[in-house]
Amino acid sequence: MTVKAKARATAAPAAHKRPNLTPLRGESEDSRFDRLVYERVRLGILSALAVREELSFSELKALFDVSDGNLSAHARKLEEAKYLSCTKSFAERRPKTVYRLTALGRGALNRYLDHVEAVIKATRRG
Amino acid sequence: MARSRNGDMHTAQTVTMESHAAATLQYIRTSMDAAVSIAVPGTAGLVMGSVGVLAAVLSELPALRAHWLIIWLSAAAVAIAAGATLLARPAAPGGLTLRGARARKFALCLVPSLFAGAVLTVVHWLSGNLRAIPGTWLLLYGCALIAASVTMTPAVAAMGGCFVALGVLALFLPESLQLIVLGVGFGGLHLLFALLIGRGTHDSQG
Repeated sequence: MTVKAKARATAAPAAHKRPNLTPLRGESEDSRFDRLVYERVRLGILSALAVREELSFSELKALFDVSDGNLSAHARKLEEAKYLSCTKSFAERRPKTVYRLTALGRGALNRYLDHVEAVIKATRRG
Repeated sequence: MARSRNGDMHTAQTVTMESHAAATLQYIRTSMDAAVSIAVPGTAGLVMGSVGVLAAVLSELPALRAHWLIIWLSAAAVAIAAGATLLARPAAPGGLTLRGARARKFALCLVPSLFAGAVLTVVHWLSGNLRAIPGTWLLLYGCALIAASVTMTPAVAAMGGCFVALGVLALFLPESLQLIVLGVGFGGLHLLFALLIGRGTHDSQG
């Protein structure tokens, strides 16, 4: 959604006076993974895990009302980016998948929050 | 004219970007609140249920039966303290504590019925109507759980419903069965739902 907002900003006339948004430190080097955070379900997963030490697959599924496949795909992308750690085990013969936020994931969420706050501040100044 | 149009576009775009950013922040906050709201550890129910069972056993002992009200009031204090501590614990690692908006909502839902129960306990005690106390406790605790379930797992509402049913039953049962029903409620129901909630956190997918 932020990507769409940026696209609209690019398409605006040159005369249009835009707020001066200073790129955040480390934004360019992390841009490959920033796209991961923009997506709504993935942003929700990171936010939820920021306030809980760990969340199971079923808890995340109930939280965001998504299908097993959809949640698996999003969680796998975050796991591949090392934003989440995943532990699989068995409890009473039933499989249990538990996710935790890594330091890298917390950093990505914090950077995204900084970015959103910077947008709000800049637009209010402008 | 063109200048005015550009100005309008600037305003519109600024509002869109700002409102989008604000909506994103709101979504993050909602996700965090929701994640905390589902944190109903089964251990809280196990501890509260164990305290209930212990109180039921102690109050049924012939030597202590006359002191059942003191026993159950003490058990309630211990169970509330333990339950509150265990409910707050899952939120701790992220730094979101019971001061959060969700926790305030939880307390606002829970406290009125518990306060009503405390007031009615004093009224019943002063009027010598002790046989109405177990039913009142079960009924109002059930109401408190049903109200608080809006911020918790649906299983809590079901547990509240069971407490309400037991409370109504207790109000019409003979005095000799009142303490048994109290034990079944605060001991048995807590333990049963603790196990159910614990099972519910297990996955259907590996």
